[in-house]
Amino acid sequence: MKLRLENVGHAFLGRTVIEGIDLALAAGEIVALVGPSGCGKTTLMHIAAGLVVPLRGRVHRAYRRHAMVFQEPRLLPWLTARDNIAYGLACAGTPRRHRREIAAVRAREVGLEADDLDKFPPELSGGMRQRAAVARALAVAPDVVFLDEPFSAVDAGLRRMMQDHLAQAAAREGFCALFVTHDLGEAARIADRLVVLSARRRGIIDLRAIPGRPGARDERFVFDLVAAWSCEEAFAEILDGAGRLQ
Amino acid sequence: MPASMRSDAKGVAAWFGRYLWSAWAGATGLLCLAAAWQMAHELYGAFILPDPLTTLATLADLATEPGFGAAVKETGLRALNGFMLAAGIGAAAGTVAGYSFAALRLMKPVVTFILGVPPISWIVLALIWFGASGGSAVATVVVAALPISFAGALEGVATRDRGLDAMARAFGAGPLRRFRDVTLPHLLSYLFAAWTTAIGTAWKVAVMAELLGNAGGVGGALARARALFDIPQVMALTVLVVLCALGSDHLVLQPLREAAERWRTAGQSGSVKQPWSVRP
Repeated sequence: MKLRLENVGHAFLGRTVIEGIDLALAAGEIVALVGPSGCGKTTLMHIAAGLVVPLRGRVHRAYRRHAMVFQEPRLLPWLTARDNIAYGLACAGTPRRHRREIAAVRAREVGLEADDLDKFPPELSGGMRQRAAVARALAVAPDVVFLDEPFSAVDAGLRRMMQDHLAQAAAREGFCALFVTHDLGEAARIADRLVVLSARRRGIIDLRAIPGRPGARDERFVFDLVAAWSCEEAFAEILDGAGRLQ
Repeated sequence: MPASMRSDAKGVAAWFGRYLWSAWAGATGLLCLAAAWQMAHELYGAFILPDPLTTLATLADLATEPGFGAAVKETGLRALNGFMLAAGIGAAAGTVAGYSFAALRLMKPVVTFILGVPPISWIVLALIWFGASGGSAVATVVVAALPISFAGALEGVATRDRGLDAMARAFGAGPLRRFRDVTLPHLLSYLFAAWTTAIGTAWKVAVMAELLGNAGGVGGALARARALFDIPQVMALTVLVVLCALGSDHLVLQPLREAAERWRTAGQSGSVKQPWSVRP
């Protein structure tokens, strides 16, 4: 196991968000974390990534390096796209020339042109910024990647391209990923395993493996899978808005 | 990398050209003010308000007098020393206060207290403590300019982007690296805005302290002109101080700011990158 969360619980200002979570990531697997908004998906991810220290429980990490992609691109406005993509490498102490080479390669992989690399973030479109954020994460050659609804603000075509790119990169480079999303279709496309969180019960209510290989499942299969899930009790909270209007 | 360096040098030259050119925009405003001044002079007469040209002629005469350069240099050094002390201490203390809630709680009342004390009291106190020397002028400048720098730094650190900070932390950046890469570029824009105000204050307060403390410099010259009821000379010295304050802001601080914030002009109004004065 690359990453193991053991009986983790957290509260903000006395309000419990998550409780008694056990979760493990094996090498090379993509785990999708789904749940209604406010169920603590992001908190759980921040705990796993070490950004938040949990009040209860322990996090075991057995890897060298992790990377993270946020919902927003979070590029540094004062650095060019190239230096932004290389930022994780700079933090890891990679020499300048070497990290710029890696950044160029990673940028090409996500479809950024060579002349985009010298632009500053405000000069890039929203989709290009998010692509740069993904390139920045993959540039550090991570063992674990944390993704917090990374594609929720990009258009459908680009989302599909990025999902496929991520699944292929994971298969090729063998990193494992924790992928927070509220889109069941996205989870069904690219995850090996699905973890369903509940806001009402403050924990994991369902855990299942998804048949097939991430990124290699056909559209029909994904569609039918999501249709089948939507009839199940475990997903009722995600798909039913009425319960949250209390 | 000679090619990129060449293009960089060309970029700097082009930027400097645009910067100088933009001075016309500033000159327009100043000339409007001069026109209003001339009108007021014609309404109230030369004794109340000498006209701009006479003032400039007086200033030119003053400049030829022996000891004038030394006086300006003296005041300038006092203003500059005071400014640098205030800018440095204020920025450091404000940064600490921005990061630490406890430090903020401790320092904010002190700064509010310093702000509340009238500068004239500081001058009197400084005269008692340091005597009628340069020290009292410098001390007064520090006290007057420090809260401005402090507030700028505090505001800059407090409004830093926590999302970017979390990003840097997720990539393993330590506190120092996060300060340098995430907070500092943001903080600088607040600091330069504060320092622009502070450098103007530094000149004004230095002259005031010199005048009241009879400590030479431009303030001393102003005191002499007042005693002689030489109104054109008073106006000339006033214009001189204003020019010095404008000069230290526009010829020193603004180019530094522009160099530190080259990224800000990226993506603004297409490919035309304009220097600060004519920025919409």
